[in-house]
Amino acid sequence: MALTKKSKFVDEYVDPVGKSVPRIEGRGIVTGQLKYVFDVQMSNMLVGKMLRSPHAHARIISIDTSKAEALPGVKAIITAQDTHQIKFGSNEYFFPHTVDQMAIEADKVRYIGDELAAVAAIDEETADEALRLIDVKYEILPGVFEIEEAIKPGAPAIHEALNNIALILPVNFGNPERLMKEADSVRESRFWCPVAHPSPMEPHVCVGQWETFTNKITLWSSSQAPFKCRESLAKTLKMDLNDVRVIKMAVGGGFGGKLEMLPMDFAACLLSKRAGGLPVKICLTREEEFTTTRRKHGMIYKVKTGVKKDGTLLAITGEVLADGGAYCSYGPTVLAAAMMRIFMVYKIQHFRMSGYRIYTNNPISGAMRGFGGVQSGFAIESHMDLVAKDIGMDPIDFRLKNITTPNMVTVNKMILTTNGLKECIEKARAACGWDEKRGKQQHLKRGIGIGIAADVMGSKMYKSHESAGAIVKVEEDGSVYLFTGAADTGQGSNTALSQIAAQALGVSYSRIKCKAGDTEITPFDTGSFASRVTFISGNAALLGGQDAKLQILEIVAKDNNISIDELDIRAEKVIFKKDNRVLMSFDKALELCYSFKYGKQIIGRGSYNPKTTPIDFRSGEGNVSGSYGFEAQIAEVEVDTDTGVVTVLELWDAHDIGKAINPQSVQGQIEGSLAMGIGYTFYEDLRFKNGRVLNANFAGYRVPRSIGMPKMNGILVETDELEGPFGAKGMGEAALLPTAAAVANAVEDAIGVRIMDLPITPEKIIKALKERA
Amino acid sequence: MLLNPLTLHLPKTSLEAARLYKELEDSKVLAGGTFLLNSMKLLKVKGTKTARNILSLAKVDELKGVSLQGDTLTIRAMTRINDLLETQLPDGHLKVLHTVCTNISTNPIRNMATFGGNLTCRYTWTEMGAVMIALEAKMHFLGADGKEEIIGAEDFFKNAARSEKLFTHVTIKTRMAACAAYRRVKKTVHVDVPLLAICMKTEIKGKQWYNTRVGINNGVAFAQRDLALEEFLNKSSSSPDLGKEALEHLTTAIYDTRSSDYKKHMFRVSLKSAIEEISLSS
Amino acid sequence: MDVNLTINKKQITLNLKGNETLLEVLRDHLSLTGTKTACQESECGTCTVIIDGNATLSCITLAANVQGTEITSIEGLAQGDVLHPVQQAFIDYGSVQCGFCIPGMIMSSVALLEKNPEPTQKEVEYALDGNICRCAGYPKIFEAVHAAGKKMKK
Repeated sequence: MALTKKSKFVDEYVDPVGKSVPRIEGRGIVTGQLKYVFDVQMSNMLVGKMLRSPHAHARIISIDTSKAEALPGVKAIITAQDTHQIKFGSNEYFFPHTVDQMAIEADKVRYIGDELAAVAAIDEETADEALRLIDVKYEILPGVFEIEEAIKPGAPAIHEALNNIALILPVNFGNPERLMKEADSVRESRFWCPVAHPSPMEPHVCVGQWETFTNKITLWSSSQAPFKCRESLAKTLKMDLNDVRVIKMAVGGGFGGKLEMLPMDFAACLLSKRAGGLPVKICLTREEEFTTTRRKHGMIYKVKTGVKKDGTLLAITGEVLADGGAYCSYGPTVLAAAMMRIFMVYKIQHFRMSGYRIYTNNPISGAMRGFGGVQSGFAIESHMDLVAKDIGMDPIDFRLKNITTPNMVTVNKMILTTNGLKECIEKARAACGWDEKRGKQQHLKRGIGIGIAADVMGSKMYKSHESAGAIVKVEEDGSVYLFTGAADTGQGSNTALSQIAAQALGVSYSRIKCKAGDTEITPFDTGSFASRVTFISGNAALLGGQDAKLQILEIVAKDNNISIDELDIRAEKVIFKKDNRVLMSFDKALELCYSFKYGKQIIGRGSYNPKTTPIDFRSGEGNVSGSYGFEAQIAEVEVDTDTGVVTVLELWDAHDIGKAINPQSVQGQIEGSLAMGIGYTFYEDLRFKNGRVLNANFAGYRVPRSIGMPKMNGILVETDELEGPFGAKGMGEAALLPTAAAVANAVEDAIGVRIMDLPITPEKIIKALKERA
Repeated sequence: MLLNPLTLHLPKTSLEAARLYKELEDSKVLAGGTFLLNSMKLLKVKGTKTARNILSLAKVDELKGVSLQGDTLTIRAMTRINDLLETQLPDGHLKVLHTVCTNISTNPIRNMATFGGNLTCRYTWTEMGAVMIALEAKMHFLGADGKEEIIGAEDFFKNAARSEKLFTHVTIKTRMAACAAYRRVKKTVHVDVPLLAICMKTEIKGKQWYNTRVGINNGVAFAQRDLALEEFLNKSSSSPDLGKEALEHLTTAIYDTRSSDYKKHMFRVSLKSAIEEISLSS
Repeated sequence: MDVNLTINKKQITLNLKGNETLLEVLRDHLSLTGTKTACQESECGTCTVIIDGNATLSCITLAANVQGTEITSIEGLAQGDVLHPVQQAFIDYGSVQCGFCIPGMIMSSVALLEKNPEPTQKEVEYALDGNICRCAGYPKIFEAVHAAGKKMKK
């Protein structure tokens, strides 16, 4: 049977995997028509605001809302007594004792900005005035703001945790003390990894609406994890999951800050209920964004290594102190990630490190892109360069001697399958001209340095399962819906997942429309974090597409009296697998399914849970991810020794991504991560004094802008991960993990100055040069 | 609403504007708006009252534009920073006007902010003051009675940048034998204002510097001259290591009070570099 | 008071109090939500529009003060279904990720290219230094701007 008419879908997007197809939302973005929760305008919508503590640590003695309630235009006010006072957190499954935050605090406030009430009013002015009229009596308590002070006996107790330590994570393998004695060279280092802030361009914003006759909530939220938000809302509001609907629209960036329910999400819902079902919109100001959302954990990272003079790493010990701020959030998993990434990168049998997540009366630390890996990346990779220097070995040769390999199991039982680390290092080395430059450019005050890293593709560290689901619904006219729970925050997951689903179904990408992140309609997905979406949600989309394909082929096979095993759909055609002979077009096959004779709806289903094992947090063992990604990054810098200014001339990032589903998107992610890495290295430093953020605006907290970005070279290494969809692993975070170390290592190569505390500033360079003279 | 209720006044001529400047109570001048509107928003959030009357100069065409006639450069108050940047200037010392414009904030701000606003905003860290002092600019003000008052830039800043009359334009004499250099330490990591800015202008005959002007902005006080350094440079400019030697003749109070070690270091690096640039160009 | 504005080539008369910023007028009064704000204090650039050919921050522009000017927002670039070369280039070169900064970034780019369709790399960097992008790291944005300029020159 020949193709009867040319389908409008036969175009250049047939076989889309591996092609740089344009973003699904591209047109909406460039015309300004794509709608974010920030843009939501509804009639009768109220403006909500949070009442925040002006004190870093205080007991709430009394709270009187009567004057605020009397203000005309105020429609609802909530305090703790209007709630069930149920605590929520992000690491409930493994660390139930770290569930420590209430959406509206009842007895105590623990940081400047802590929420103790919320109002909804007809406009912003009235809401602000209402906040001013709420009368709170505080008993101010002494606060503690430095981690080394907070753990001392006698320090003010922020929660019930002894010595303000929310969590101790001991990771022990082998006998490092004995091996350390056998070492030819021992070195100990201490690094300071500062506090950065996700700072997405769209601030946190949500609209809550209560449907009074069904007692159902709808929350539109700028969220990376709508299902996580739903879970927490259901818990704190004591509702069933199917009475809480969280809808994610376009999200203007997340970077880890939008991974959980925040008090504002809770407040918007409850305020709407109190206001008789009127929708309530709460949008954070940029100052609130910097001070009351989630920030990176500042960490003191101590590491000690023993090596043989031939470069073999024998033993590693150390300690990590993390400034957690007032509540736990994702702290435990961030700390774990900060300590255990090293096992993916280096072959180690003897290791002892203790990690402490410490409460302080500073704003809350949570997940931020890199998840502890940025801090550990800076510390470990800087330290490794110092170690190589001690034994007179080239930093790349030293690393090559100790890195992990494909198809191995690490000492903590991580199963590494494809591992392109060696290839990444060699490709980066060749691309940058390492051998011609390293140690040879001091007269130009130029230097070159390397940092390597590995990344997980998802992590079974906060819930019992981390499965993703997908539904591929094929309409009668051949257009296709992909329903996925995955949350596109700009990284292009809607596009990549649509490409995967289209490829699996055997059709052009042009057929697919993607509906994502609506907890009522799309299947469950844990969200956009740990670089998991391409791998995990991608596999679900793959399975969903394949399932839909099989449903179609079943009808075709039956109608033509052939075995289904003989058939496949590829590039818009139903073909015989054996010889690629065309049986009919996809459109014709669909006609058959929706025909009078068969009338079969095509609804493909996919569910994927990666083959991982939960981490045993007493031993540190567990295969936390179904697949691991790797990279090597090299930075070339030039230092002006008069002004102390370090210019990064060029960055090379060789990245093992399994397979690039959309090469342009992958390059975009690499470039964005590198920019954030540059930010962390030089500018991003959220500073506090007595719990107050000193630079809570874009004037004081510098993020990278268009001027001064280095030349960026993203080198894609495709190791074809069997377990991944079409070989893909994914990436989203890794490129910023080793940047700071690569730059610090390059600075040392250039001028012999070693910076151990980020950010690298002209002041520090000048000071170090003066001290050396 | 992000701003308190206000009444906008839109005069069409500079005389009308000067009169309103005198007569309006509880008023502020709106030039580019990059300082004023930001601060009005911030004050409202804090619950603080802001000016009721806003005197906008947007429609006063007489206050716009840059012109060069003979040896006098005139820059009018409402000239936008980017307009000044795009104005052709003769080679020589006037080019520092372009350099200082490039450093100011970001592009859209440069499109909106005005030359006059930068000079009269009373923020000590604005750099235009140092440049005006070095170029010996005369600042022209218009009274409600139509009478013009002329104040040297140096005196204007000595009076903490205050005036009772409306600023209309500066005049700068271009000098054939003059060279100038401008240095600014880049925006620091933490705060988006310049750490320091210096502008140095001199006239050179042979190897001799004379009529040297050094305008310093240290961010703490309003822009000022360093008379000690000027005197040294005028006397000793034939010295081969001029830049290095000059550093011993700085007025300590300008550079060292409330300055971190890094800032002191950068003052010295910048001054040495500026002196060397001028020496080389002559 | 009556405020007369020319927005996207249309003359509009609005009844305003007089203290509205241009951004408020665009988003709240005219529902043109393409122009955003991420800071409300002239630092982020997401509120960038074009006024009389110049990239301008609408969050610190008084609407009543820009009567008699030509105002263009992101919604005014496309001609029906046909995208402006800059808009098309941003799609083609993969310059868009989360998209929140893009309307402002495009307006700054259009303002630059209309004056100078063949800018140097440095000129592009300076023209866009008021627009923060947190996602893309800038290289693809630069590529799109250069490519669009070449198209616009023809």
